[in-house]
This record gives sequence, C-alpha cells and structure tokens, in this order.
Amino acid sequence: MSQESAVSALEPAPLVEGPQDFNTITEKVCSIVEAPTPLAWYVFFAIASGCASMLLFMLGYLVWTGIGVWGLNNPIGWGWDITNFVFWIGIGHAGTLISAILFLFRQKWRTSINRAAEAMTLFAVACALIFPGFHVGRIWVAYWMAPIPNQMGMWPNFRSPLLWDVFAVSTYGTVSLLFWYVGLVPDVATLRDRATSRIRAMVYGALALGWRGSNRHWHNYEKAYMLLAGLSTPLVLSVHTIVSFDFAVSVIPGWHTTIFPPYFVAGAIFSGFAMVLTLLVLCRQFFGLKELITMRHLENMNKIMLATGSMVGYAYAMEFFIAWYSANPYEKFVFINRAFGDYSWAYWTMVTCNVIIPQLFWFRSLRTSIPVMFVISILINVGMWFERFVIIATSLHRDFLPSSWAYYTPTWVEMCTFIGSFGLFFMLFLLFVRFLPMVAIAEVKGVLPTANPHPDHRELHAEAH
Amino acid sequence: MSPVNKSEHGLSRRNYWRSLEQLENSPEFQRWAQAEFPEGLSEVISPVTRRSFLSLMGASMALAGLSGCIRRPEEHILPYSKAPEDIIPGIPNFYATAYPHSGFGVGVVVESHEGRPTKIEGNPQHPFSLGATDVFTQASVLNLYDPDRLTSYVSGGQAITRSAFVDQLRSKVSELKTRQGAGLRFLSGLSTSPTLEALSAQLSQSLPQAVWHTYEPVSLENAVAGGHLAFGQAVIPTYQLDKADVILALDCDFMGTEPGSVLYGRQWSRRRGNDGASTPTNRLYAVEGIFSITGAMADHRLRLPSSHVDGFIRALGAQLSSQGLSLPSELQMALEPHRTHPFDARWVSALSAELLAARGKSVIMVGSAQPASVHALAHALNASLENVGQSVQYSPAPIGVASVANPDTGLTGLVAALRQNQVETLVILGGNPGYDAPADLELATLIKNVPTSIRLGSHQDETALACKLVVPQSHYLEMWSDVRALDGTASIVQPLIEPLYDSMSELELLSHFVDGASNRGYELVRAQWQTALGTLDFEKRWRRMLHEGVIADVAAPPVQVVLNGASIGAGLAQKEMPQLSLQNLELRFVTDARVFDGRFANNGWLQELPDPMTKLTWDNAALISPRTARELAVKRGDMVSLKYRDRTLEMPVWPMPGMADYVVAVSLGYGRTHSGRIGTGTGFNAYLLRDSSAPYFDAGLVSTRTGGTHLLATSQEHGSMENRPLVLEATVDEYQKNPRFAQEAVEHPPLRSVFTEHEYVGQQWGMTINLNVCTGCSTCVVACQAENNIPVVGKERVLRGREMHWIRIDRYFAGDEETAEAVQQPMMCQQCQNAPCEPVCPVAATVHSRDGGLNDMVYNRCIGTRYCSNNCPFKVRRFNFFNYHEDFTEIEKMQQNPDVTVRMRGVMEKCTYCLQRINSARRQMKLSGAARIPDGTITPACAQACPVDAIVFGDVNDPESRVSRLKARDMNYALLAELNVKPRTSYLARLRNPNPELG
Amino acid sequence: MADKIFGILAEFKTPASILDAAGRAYAEGFRQFDCHTPFPVHGLDRAMGLAASKVPWLVLGGGLTGGSCGLLLQWWTSAVSYPLIIGGKPLFSYQAFVPVTFELTILLASFGAVFGMFALNRLPMFYHPIFRAPTFHRATDDRFFLSIEAKDPRFDVARTRQFLEAIGGENITVLEA
Repeated sequence: MSQESAVSALEPAPLVEGPQDFNTITEKVCSIVEAPTPLAWYVFFAIASGCASMLLFMLGYLVWTGIGVWGLNNPIGWGWDITNFVFWIGIGHAGTLISAILFLFRQKWRTSINRAAEAMTLFAVACALIFPGFHVGRIWVAYWMAPIPNQMGMWPNFRSPLLWDVFAVSTYGTVSLLFWYVGLVPDVATLRDRATSRIRAMVYGALALGWRGSNRHWHNYEKAYMLLAGLSTPLVLSVHTIVSFDFAVSVIPGWHTTIFPPYFVAGAIFSGFAMVLTLLVLCRQFFGLKELITMRHLENMNKIMLATGSMVGYAYAMEFFIAWYSANPYEKFVFINRAFGDYSWAYWTMVTCNVIIPQLFWFRSLRTSIPVMFVISILINVGMWFERFVIIATSLHRDFLPSSWAYYTPTWVEMCTFIGSFGLFFMLFLLFVRFLPMVAIAEVKGVLPTANPHPDHRELHAEAH
Repeated sequence: MSPVNKSEHGLSRRNYWRSLEQLENSPEFQRWAQAEFPEGLSEVISPVTRRSFLSLMGASMALAGLSGCIRRPEEHILPYSKAPEDIIPGIPNFYATAYPHSGFGVGVVVESHEGRPTKIEGNPQHPFSLGATDVFTQASVLNLYDPDRLTSYVSGGQAITRSAFVDQLRSKVSELKTRQGAGLRFLSGLSTSPTLEALSAQLSQSLPQAVWHTYEPVSLENAVAGGHLAFGQAVIPTYQLDKADVILALDCDFMGTEPGSVLYGRQWSRRRGNDGASTPTNRLYAVEGIFSITGAMADHRLRLPSSHVDGFIRALGAQLSSQGLSLPSELQMALEPHRTHPFDARWVSALSAELLAARGKSVIMVGSAQPASVHALAHALNASLENVGQSVQYSPAPIGVASVANPDTGLTGLVAALRQNQVETLVILGGNPGYDAPADLELATLIKNVPTSIRLGSHQDETALACKLVVPQSHYLEMWSDVRALDGTASIVQPLIEPLYDSMSELELLSHFVDGASNRGYELVRAQWQTALGTLDFEKRWRRMLHEGVIADVAAPPVQVVLNGASIGAGLAQKEMPQLSLQNLELRFVTDARVFDGRFANNGWLQELPDPMTKLTWDNAALISPRTARELAVKRGDMVSLKYRDRTLEMPVWPMPGMADYVVAVSLGYGRTHSGRIGTGTGFNAYLLRDSSAPYFDAGLVSTRTGGTHLLATSQEHGSMENRPLVLEATVDEYQKNPRFAQEAVEHPPLRSVFTEHEYVGQQWGMTINLNVCTGCSTCVVACQAENNIPVVGKERVLRGREMHWIRIDRYFAGDEETAEAVQQPMMCQQCQNAPCEPVCPVAATVHSRDGGLNDMVYNRCIGTRYCSNNCPFKVRRFNFFNYHEDFTEIEKMQQNPDVTVRMRGVMEKCTYCLQRINSARRQMKLSGAARIPDGTITPACAQACPVDAIVFGDVNDPESRVSRLKARDMNYALLAELNVKPRTSYLARLRNPNPELG
Repeated sequence: MADKIFGILAEFKTPASILDAAGRAYAEGFRQFDCHTPFPVHGLDRAMGLAASKVPWLVLGGGLTGGSCGLLLQWWTSAVSYPLIIGGKPLFSYQAFVPVTFELTILLASFGAVFGMFALNRLPMFYHPIFRAPTFHRATDDRFFLSIEAKDPRFDVARTRQFLEAIGGENITVLEA
C-alpha cells in the first residue's frame, strides 16, 4: 500500500514545526475561532451562500416544472445529475479515508489534517445526496425507496444497486458524522473552557456534552475511536464500490465492467485528496497554520495522488484491453467511441487531467511547490468530474441499437445546479472553519514529543491508539 | 457473450448506415450533432412570466420547508340520470362505418366508450380494409376532437346561428331558382357517395344551370383518363396482387400513399411468406425517382426520374413486343422507335422476360402521378399479358372521379368561369381549394370576388377566410352518408356521436338546394337506399348493412374492356425525355405520408409521426439525391430557393439516398397558414410551386442556396447498423443454402442463467414481427398512440430526443448511397423474460407478471429514476419529462381511452402488449367459464392495424398457436439474444427474392 | 454547604508527572480517583489499573443485530410479505442482498461504538463538581489533574491533601459536591 511506503520515507521530518507546547497549539487553533471574523470571510460567505440559494431556486424550478428542464433525453437518462453525485461522493471519501485508514496504518501525520478532511467529507456527502434525491421524476414519493410500510403494502426492491446506494450513502454519511463528532468532543470542550461570552459557553458546552478529560473516559473513548476507524475502513471502500455497482451491474457496454469497484475507489481517493489539498492550501495560507499543516503533509498527499492517479490511469488502459480481448463488438465500439466519437473532447480532457498531469508529482520540486500542487489539485478535480461524465454519457448515448443513438447537452438549469452545489459546499465549509476547530487539538498535542513520557513510545503508542 | 456477425462466412452482410452525413462521417455532421441543441432551445415551456416566477419562488420556498407538493386534479363524476340503451359503463361498443378518404371508402369498426368514439379499427368484412387500416384512417378519429374545429356558422366574419344561416340560404336558393340556377357553381372534393350523386342529379332538375366542379389535389384523374384512352370508358383499375408472380410498380407507391394501399399491401404480403410458404413466391420490380416504402420492399429497384418513366414503359413495351408479345398493330408501330432506349438493357430485358413468362400472373401498376398515356400503355400491356380478369380488374369510375378527369367539370373549368365573372354563387363543399389549388390559378383571390360564396368546412382555414358564409362541417363520425370503395363496394357512413358542434354534412347542406328533400342526413341516406334496393324487407337489409358496414351484392360487376390500340398509339406521340441537369432539375410533388395533401396538417399524431423513409417529423423538406446535394453544395437543413417558372419557394433540403439524381421531391400539405394550433407554420407549402399544367412533376426547376438553415427534427438520426446483426436478411438462395442463417448470425455460448429460472405456466404471451413483409408504413405507431393515450410532445422535444411513441420503426440503409436499399424494423418493448429493467428499479415499479409473463410497468409505483431505461438494451422505454396531458382541452380529453392510464409527469412508460386488451379477454374468459383464451382472441392495437399482417401475437406456451408456429420457423430470431434477456418478441428474418438474371 | 465534599483535585504540569502521580495514588491504595488530561496520556490506563473497556462488546452486539436484522428484512419483504418476480431472479436472491446487509452491520456497529462509549462514560453530564475548581479549565489546554473522590474508603480530607502535596500536586482544591 502506498501509505506504508510513504511512512518509512517520512520518519525524519517533524510532524509539527517550530517551538510548540500544548498551550501554543491550543492558542493557534482556538484563536482562529475566537478572533473577530475577518472581512474576507464575509465576502467569501456572501458569494458561497449566493450560489447556494441559486441551487435552491434551480431545484424548486426542477420540481415545479419537471425533469425536462434538464437536457436529458431518451437514451441518455442520466447526465450531469448522476455525474455530480458520483463526483461529490468521490470527494467525500478522502475525509474518512484519512481519518480511518491512515489512523489504522499509524500515519501520525494525519492528525493535523483529518478534522478538516472529515468536515469536507460531510459537506461533500451532503452535496452528493442532493442529486440522486432530485434526479427522480416524482420526488414527493422518493420515500418509497425506504423500507417503510406504505399504502401499497409494497417494499423497495433490494436487488437494485440504486437501493444499495441509498443504504450505503446514508450509512456512510451517518458514520462519518459520528466519527467527526466523536473527534470534536474534546476540542469543543477546550473551546468551552476558553469561552468568554455566555452564548459561546452555552453552545460549546452543549456540544461538549460535559467532557472533562477524565482518563476513565479517554479509556473508552480511544477504544471506541479505534473501532470506529476499523468499521469506517471497509465502509469507505464499500461505498464507492456500491456506487460503481450502479453501472457495473447493468448490461450496457461501458458500464458492465468488473474492474469498476477498485477503479472507482482509487478514483475516489484520488479526487478526495485533490479536494482536501485545494482546501488546506487555502486554509493554511489564510489562517497561518503553516506549522501545523506542514509541507510534509502536503507532500504526502501529493504522493498519494500520484499513486491513485496512476491506478486510475491503469484502469483506463485495462478497460481498452478488456474491450479488445472480450471480442465483443458492442464493448469494442463503446471504447473506440469514447476516444474518437462525439464525446472524445471529454475523454481526452479526463485523460490529460487524471493521468498525464499528476505525473508531474514525480519531481520533488513540483511536489513541494504550493502553486503547482494547488493548480494540479484543481485540474484533478476537473478531470475526475469528466471521468464520471464520460462513463455515464458516452456509454448511454450509443449503446446496442444505433437507431436510438443520440447526443446530450446540458441546459443552463443543470449548470446552475452544479455551480449551486459548490456554493453549498463552500458555505458549509466556511461555517465550519469559523465556528469549529479545524485542526484536531487533542490529537496534535498527542503527537508532540513531550506528550509521551515513555522511552519506547512506538509500542505503547500502538497499544494506546 | 461475444456476438460475432457471420458476414465473413458467406452471408451478404451489407454495410448499413442511417444518414449520409454518417456515411461520410463529415465534420459538418459532427458540428451538426453539436449544434443540434443550441443554447437557446431550453425546455422552458413558456417564457417565465411574473406569475410562473412567483410560483417558482413558491416551490423553492416549499423546498426550503422540505414539503413535497402533489398536485392532483379535482374529479367530477356524473351518473346517467337515465341509463341509455345497450351502453354498459366500462364496456366499449363497436360500430361499423366507413371512412371516406379523398373520395374512396375504407370500412372501419369504431370503438366507442360511453358514446365517445375513441379508436378506429379496420372492418374485416370490407374488401379494402380486411380488418386493417392505413395511418390516415387510424388518425382520422383525432380530427373529430380537434380543438380548432369551427364551432359556429360565420357570415362575413361574424358568428351567426344555424337558423339565421338557413334563412339566408333559403332566400338565396329561391332567388337562384328564378334564374334556373344560372351563376351557381359547386366545388367539392371527390365524392363517391351514391346519395350525393342522387342529390346532385335532382339538383340539375331544380337548378339546371348550376354546374358542379370536383377537385382533389391528388387523385386518380390520370388513371381514369388513361382508361379512356385505352378502352374509351371511365374505369378504375383494381388489382389482385396475391395472384401475381411478377409485379412492376412504375412510380407507384402502392404500399404507401396510393389509394387501396391497405388491400394491395396485404395481397402482396400473402406471397411473401404470410401464406405459410417458407420463401417469397412473388417478385417486385419498382421504378421510381423518390425512395418510397414500396421501393424499399422491392426485389429490384430502378432509380428513374418520374419524367423518364414514360420513356421506360415505352421501352418495356417495345422490348415485350420484340420478345413476342402480340400488341395491337397501331400500338406496336408506335412503340417501334423505342426499341433503342437509354435504360439498363439487361434490366429491361430480364423484366420483360419475366413478365412474358408470367402471363396472366403479372401486374404492371402505374402511380397516380404519371400522365394518362403511361396509364393507357400500362392498361394495354396488362391486357396483352392476359392479366385483365386475373390480376387486374376494371370497375366503373364513379361520376365524381370522371368529372375530376374532365377539364370542364374539374377545377380549371371553374377558374375559367370565375375569371369571366360568370359565377354569382359559389358553394365549396369540403376540401381546401383556397390552400391546395395550383398556384397559377390564384383561386383564393378569385373566390374573394364571388358575390356569394358559401363554404362548408371543418376549420376557419385558408378557403373559409376567402368565403362570405362559412358552415361548420360534420366529421364523418358525426354524420350520415355513404361511400364507395375503389371497386365500387358501397358502405353506409353512420355517426358514432351527435355533432359536437351544430355542424352540417355535405348532404344536409346540399339538400337545401333540392326541392322537397329532407334536411336530415339519416332520411336522405335511408331514402336513397330504399329506392336503390326496393322496399322488400328493406328494414332487415338496412339494419344488416349498418351492422356489417358493407352493402352486400350491390357492387357493380367488373367492366369488360376492349383495347383501343389506335387511341393508345395516338397518345404515344413522339416526345423527348427531358434532359435533367443542375440547371434543369425535375420538380416532383409527392403525397405526404403523414399529412397527405394537407388535410391532416392539424393532426398532432400525424405531424409527429416520423416519415417512414426520412424519419422526419413536423416538417417537409426538399428531398434530393446525395450526389445532387454535393453538386448543389448543400447539406441537410440548408435552405434553398426553388425557382420554377415564375414562382419561387424557400425550403430546407434533405439528401435522401436512393433517389434519382436531379430530382427535387417536395411533399404536399405543409406550410399551412390557417390550419390551427398544431399545423399552422409547420413545413413549407409546395402548392406555391404547383402548376395546373403539370400538377405532379415537371422539369425546369432551378435550386439556389440561400445561405440560411432550418432545424429539422428527425426521430432517429444518429448511428448506423455498424455491421451489427440487428435486421437479418438474406436472398432466397442464401436462405436455401443455410436455412438457419438467422439463428446462426450471432455466435454466443449457451444461454444459461446462474439462477433457476421461473416456470411460466398457463398462457404466456409473445409476439413475432415479420420483417419480410413489414413495409414500415407506421400505421402501428399511430394505432398504438390512439389506443394507449400516448402524448404528442412537439418539434422541440423531438429535437431533444423525447418523442413518446411506444413503437419506434428503425430504418437502416444498405448498400451505397446511389443504389441504396432500406430495411425497416419495428422496435417496441421486447417483454424480456429476464428483463434487465426490472432488477435495477429501486422501488419495484417494473416487475414480471406470473400469468402472461409480461414485463409490467406500474405507473403508480414509479418514482422516475430512469434507471430501467438506461439499462434497456433496446431503449424502448419512454419517460414523461413533463406533464404532457396538462393543457388538454375538454374536447381533446374525449378521445382518451379510459382503459389505459394517462401517465403523469415523472414516470416511465412503454409498450404493454396492450395489457388492457389482454385483461378484457381474460375477464370474458372467466365470465364464460372457459379454461383458456382461444388463439386470436387478443390482438394488440399494432397487430390489429397492420395492413400486411406482419405482427402476430399469442400464447407461446401453446404449440398450436399461430405465434408459436411462426417462432418455430427457422428464420425466427430474437434480437440481442446473446444477452440472455429472453425477449418474448422475436423477428422473422427478411428474404429478398432477386431475379437470378440480374443477381 | 461546606459539609458535603466530592473530593480533592490536584494540578500537575507534565504528562510524566501525572503518570507518576497516578501510579503513586494507585500504590497508596486509592481506587476512586481519576485523571483529567487534555489528551490521552499513554500508560495512564495501566497506571490507574483500569480494566479493559467494554466498548468492543457493544460494537459486536450492534454489528450482529444490524447484519441479522438486515438480512431478515430483505428476506421477509422480498420472499414473504410481497413476493415479486424481478428480472428472472429468485425471490430470495441472497447474492443481491449482501450490500445492504453489510451496510446495516456497519451502521449498527458504529452506533454501538459511539453511543455505547458515551453511555459507559455517563455522558452527557453537563454539571460536575470538578468544574468548580478555579484552574480546571486548563484540563483541556495544557494542565493535568488528579482527583481523588470522597467516596474512596481511604479518603480523608487532611491526609489526602497531604498525600497530593507530597506527590507534587499544585493548586490543590477541595471540591464541594
């Protein structure tokens, strides 16, 4: 696993830079929340919430008028809607991955970034849920997808990948929320104890649940946290696997593919890390967290992107090989059509952004250059959006019977909806950085050299976590 | 599964392609594909008004409050105060009547729900229906509920009451009597109604000076004139194609727009394997300039401009006589010079050899567009080939038809009179001459100058606007009348419903001009037949003919004809074939396969029906051959200005493979200016180029590109068959070499499911579609639309690819663009036993039924994820992107079939095998206590309407059922069988029967 | 009411000192005592002689319930309550029921972990006497506290205070209940 190799290479550099003690860390993180709101925040928040309200208006228009306000047609029943869904869900994978998998792999460097990453996960999942929710023709009966008794005495069809999605994504959302909240409790307690105004004391006090750092609590807490990590790991892998089933389980050439689960998971990690990077580069710039979120963190993430990006590239190649090897004319056609058909522009955008550009990360100088990695991380997100679009649209627009072939272009409604979802995402993220500690204070303290009185800390650390 | 098509291994698999741009795969095509949906073309139904903006805001707010909104219409149910006789609520009644289509009757049986006629079906008793119909007959019921119909009498633009009108009329008539009806002219569409004939006869007594003119934009006048030339009498040829081994169709689309197509298609199909024979036993030669569905079904097709068909038949005649066919001497001499001809000599000699070999068992058919001389020569050749009395018969032409042919009583006679201001009162019965008269006559303006003009019409249309008095015309389902079929068979037209508006029929209006005539259609018709049949137990016979829809044993016996070689020879006076070129194109006027001559322009079903060959909807275009297009440097959708004589018309071009070069074919009936909400402004009005001297085709057209373009909506644009084994076909030889070619077309591992599959016991429904006879005429599409309340979505949504037809007819081209062949494949839900659509639905809205084993779509359960459609390999599911029934008027709602759910927006729909019909049969079975539904009891709308009997439905578990026997045939194959979806619908591969000489 | 005492709280500066203090307190025979640290100090559990956590059992229970109920739900709804033929698959097509079963297992197991943990910790508990201590707010920042509760049999205000001073506790506070 790439993370493993990452570790060994990483031992020397310190996890936290500069002269730090417990209090400076507390100060650094809490001051962001306690200091008066910077003007820039208001500006960004205004823009973000503006887009978010546009999203609301677009969805209202959709529900009022009909799915026809989108550009979908007969062969192409899914377009930007499901593309955006998979896109956001993919992004939503980094948080839990960093929190859970890196935790299990003892990647202590995760501590300064996991909080923000988890928050991002939740917001991404929230954005993702909008699309499957609203893409249905009759949203007012969408609750039929839940196994609750209704007037028809009917139950959902548990054979449908779409229903698996409902369970997978809702479970994922719930567990991620719990995971995030459990991590937050001690830090919220810190904010509570530092609160100067009554209202803050009340709110943070309520959120902290009366946490008092009791070691008898830490005892259960750490056990629970570890188990939660253990549970989230298969969960995070299962979610994108199941999302990939939406396509892999079908009979449509270009969808009916066994490589999809690993391919989708790799893609999810890929896009998730890209989005985390985009956000953290901004945060550490704005909130002066350079000592906590160090170049080492960023570099590690870039390495992971390089690795997962190459996996995705491998998957692209393998799809073509299998198409040729299967000797199935329909399969062959779909892939040739992807690369050279009406949608080739989308395909090559995808390949460029996802496979070619990340190769720049082989060079340490580029890997450690903030502007470079920032641009690349954005390009990767563009590329990953196109990956989902290519998979969905190109497979549908030309399948078995040429007579039903068609072309699909989105309407302004779809575009505004997508932009709106970004508005919602950033609005939530801005609220998060404003009111909650975006670095896991307690955890970072735990990885300070002074934090561990024992000589051979590796073994004990292992036991404790 | 790896389908490998076996083309390498012996079978002639052509490279199929759908559209020329595709074939060329030109960058223009790519751009066109991109430009197909420009940004402007958003799906906003109407520009967002302030009101809708507010409602939108409301919705957004509602969303913000997370409250779902369900808008259900309020229902009002009214009971009968007194239950009418023999109407059981919920059980439809069926009545026989006849549909007069451009004069000739098609016997129909009309389904009526609580007094509302909802669906037209063929009348098996009627010789020109045999239980089937054409598209026009199917769609005719929609005209009854056309919301744009004229609802009141109009005088000088003001609405008046019926009585007021009748008073005006009475005074007018009495005034006319004083001068023997001088200055009174009637102009009517072609009518073969005996009652009308009788009335007009009486009219000539009461108003002797009155003159009756008849005009049909497209009719049999040439055939009748040809009969005159050949036999010296007014006759109409009728054919018995099932008796013919060799059929030559000269510019004659006898399966499509020519009169009698339903019967002729059926007769032809009997010899293509429908009679149980494994291979076709007839051979069809087609000579035509446009690519018609008849041409597509031909075994041999010769591309020839219509203006060269004359030359061709002369050459054929010469060839025949040289090969020993004895012709009248004058004729033989007239044909001598044509022994040398520019046509494919091999083709002509092979054809004439076959015709001679099949004496008495061959037919030469000539299209209505061809001049009298060609018809006359065809009559002569048929007679000399001893076909008359065998495969060709002659029946007396009704007075109406004869008068169309005669210039004095035709339109030209009237125009002459109008120009000399000899017309004081003009009565226009039906038709729409103000729109469809040849442009050079300028009829509309002439009519305006007539002091008194009375117009009987169903719409405030182009003609009505030129007239002083307008009378709303009854739809044929609202009136009493009678009509003859091509062969003279008479039927009573009986109403299914009281006139929706206070309208009149032709007979009723005419009766006001005749002394002592009753003004009620019923009495007029009844009286007519009482005199015709005598009073002897008339009541019984009357009831019988109403019940059967056909009047037995009153059809005139076939006319015995005697060839008049001299006059035919005279008709063949030496004349040069026009040399066509870019500067001298041939302009060909085509009867439109959808709106006919324009009378169906306001019929949504037909406007949205894809043309069988071009797949074009909501428009007509100038069809040209690909080569001509290249030479003119135009692409699909480019606007050209067509200059013919001193008139010009701008319209978009549509390159059409298989067309003769230098021919520009424009279909009539579009570009209506006053047709109604549907038809107004669709397409381009070809009548503006039409000249009375050359109504069907003429050389001398010049086409120049204007630089503009027009967005043409076609239902099936992209793709080609890509060498995929979809429509399987072979020649008879190939089939005899390998009878299992269809099953072996795809190589795949044994189809086994990982699961133990369900046992489908009892009656299990399935279908076969015989590609060997399917002409692609699209009657099934309209029948399905009428039966299943399928909405019309409009041009913009067709452009978006959202048409709702449950049946799609896939048309693929084969061969190169010049000698293109075409195949047709009806595609609807295949009712897969292992349906891929079912497992993917999260709410189990589409599931399998145990009895019947069909793939049921549960509209009420559907939440609209569209996953089923994505996972359908045949892409036959249709999604309601909007609430298409939202703005239905009360009148339009009356057409809806109460047995079929009207789908709301957001739900998926698809072909159900007409489940409502299956269930009613099942109910009857249970009531009668029978064990099973007998084979043939259930007929889905598509199968019921099919003129060529290509669609067969039945119980696949019963080895004796017709469908099982067809599925047992070796040319039976299931599409995409390699997916192991086990479709219940299977196809019978197509066999071509080429002449070995030409092979 | 000064008579009712909850316990005594002592403050320490470093993780090492609290670890040492906890060990001493345990050795002294105290059992009803607790440490309050801004982050989990490793080895403290052992020093305090804490028994293994019960959380894993709750997780196991949650997981088993989730899995079995999930499978049962799918079997009953598709094979018993409303059997439908779908895509030619068996009524109980367990292959297709794996994902939902798995997800429900995870979901309920996580509930077991989180809500189980809070339950075992008696949280939420918004009032606690220890919050009264003047410097205790630093327990979530950079200070480490040892509290010995009055209900411990060996507790005695004076002696316990001396003991805490002896092991280097600062700002020793007597907590009123």
